[in-house]
Amino acid sequence: MRRAAQPSEYMQLLANALIAGSLAALIAGGLALVYGVLGVFNMALGQLVLFGGYSTWWLHQVVHLPLIPSVLGGLASGALMTWFTFEIFVNPFYKHHRFLPLVTTIAWSMILDGMMLLLFEERPRSILPGLKKTFEIQGARISVEQCILILLTLVALLAFAYVFHRTSFGRKLRAVVQHDSAALSLGINSAVLHRVIFIVSGVFAGAGGIFIGIDQNLSPTFAFPLTIKAYAAIIAGGKGNIWGAIFCAYLIAGLEQVLVGVHWFGAFYVPAGYQQTVALLFIIFFLLLKPSGLFSSQSRTA
Amino acid sequence: MNFVYHVIAIIAMSAPNILGFNLIFGRGKIFHFGPLGVSIVAAYATFLTTMAFGSYPLGLVAGFAAAAIVSAFFAWLSLRLDADGFGVMSIAVHLSLLAVVLNWTSLTRGALGIPRVPRFPFLHSTVDFMIFSTIVAVLWAFVLWKIDRGTFGRKLTALSEHEWHAKALGIDRPFIHLIVFLIGGVGAMLTNVQYHQYIYLVHPSDFGYPAFIFFVTVVVAGGPGSVRGCMLSLVLISLLREGMRFLPLSANILGPVRLILFGVILFVAVWVRRDTLFPKQRTV
Repeated sequence: MRRAAQPSEYMQLLANALIAGSLAALIAGGLALVYGVLGVFNMALGQLVLFGGYSTWWLHQVVHLPLIPSVLGGLASGALMTWFTFEIFVNPFYKHHRFLPLVTTIAWSMILDGMMLLLFEERPRSILPGLKKTFEIQGARISVEQCILILLTLVALLAFAYVFHRTSFGRKLRAVVQHDSAALSLGINSAVLHRVIFIVSGVFAGAGGIFIGIDQNLSPTFAFPLTIKAYAAIIAGGKGNIWGAIFCAYLIAGLEQVLVGVHWFGAFYVPAGYQQTVALLFIIFFLLLKPSGLFSSQSRTA
Repeated sequence: MNFVYHVIAIIAMSAPNILGFNLIFGRGKIFHFGPLGVSIVAAYATFLTTMAFGSYPLGLVAGFAAAAIVSAFFAWLSLRLDADGFGVMSIAVHLSLLAVVLNWTSLTRGALGIPRVPRFPFLHSTVDFMIFSTIVAVLWAFVLWKIDRGTFGRKLTALSEHEWHAKALGIDRPFIHLIVFLIGGVGAMLTNVQYHQYIYLVHPSDFGYPAFIFFVTVVVAGGPGSVRGCMLSLVLISLLREGMRFLPLSANILGPVRLILFGVILFVAVWVRRDTLFPKQRTV
């Protein structure tokens, strides 16, 4: 018996895509900035995301700080841990060869995984446990927390856009992203900006972890899929193109929801286990057919 | 004593796959992060065919053919993409294959794995496996050592040092890549055929990302490209991994401690070899 899809189902898919896309956009945006400048892969990104989330959980649920200071503490700890990652696992290596940090950050991801398992254990942790208050928009059920998270993500991305495109600091950042050596020759202290960019990516990663901890549960097993999804977004968006990566993060999240949420041809549902393959297929498709990504920007040459 | 035989068997069984990966990643400096993608296909093709037709020779033919096809696909990708692009692509292909295995439950039984896989008729006890796998590992190490020290190894090294210069000197890059990936595929097959019949089970968790990190740790710690160093590090790291079982720690502490320890080993190995792991291209 064929069953026509209800409009409310599509609205629910859209709402789910917005929630998942906001999370992916936060993480991929920061990573795109790092990849655009340093050209290094940070395989510990997923663990840094979770570290921010777990820190917030610990401050809120164990130390019993109010939510806002806990969130600020989580962001700060994410930034500090990312700075540490840069100083120990990236900076001493990427001048030797830009592929070395890929292996060192794999090592760091293992260490962080072990530390998080020891400190926070494997069971799911929620920053705001208990039932969430939901309401209905056009047939889609969404919680208050999810609405706030979507809005806060938009505010964070808009604030970042303002700083990036409308301030002197942002101009320096863009100069370093476009041409590191040329920026240095114009008096921009690119060494400091490399650190700043890495730390900014850590703040975004920490925010992503807090997002997960509030919306769902934190679990150490999330780390690697988060890293893969972020890389899929930056490859599809055009390596180093921040807005392309953010757009593709929303796109991937949307397609993930559509893939497993739609009753295909009125005949079957795709098993939920395939949801994460959307990001993998994005990587395969774009690297094979359009390696420059959807929004590739031409680098300046002499 | 049986535990010692077991450890020797496990080390010897792992050796072919890791040594094959060492030739690709360590000697060839090819960013292949999907060796376990080849392993998945090799293992499932071998044992699904064997169990469906009740014939081990047929299963082995299917396994070798499947491993060769996936290896040739990886070789093609490595020629088409730049180094970091291939690194990410090989992870994506590996995880996609794993997703198929996990979700195509009617064929693979998904997360349950394939139990009661049949053994070779001459392999019964742990001692049998230890002797057989040690002979295979020693022969395979000798073959790879000869390959590494011969013309092929020199060509592979030349390509890894400076691709364009090597091509200008007449080295056929597509052919070298195809052969090195096929050698890796044979190594994957040798390991998986032995290991899964030893434990009577083909399970998706044996092909996850953590298993790949173990490969990288062994190769980097042993000295990329060195067959002898890689064997030595495989023995030492495996002994450390198995020996940690005797520490008076509960399972939920032991796992994380092991992760931290291997992370530190990998980091220290990269630190020590930071000038040789990915050497800078020679310039005039």
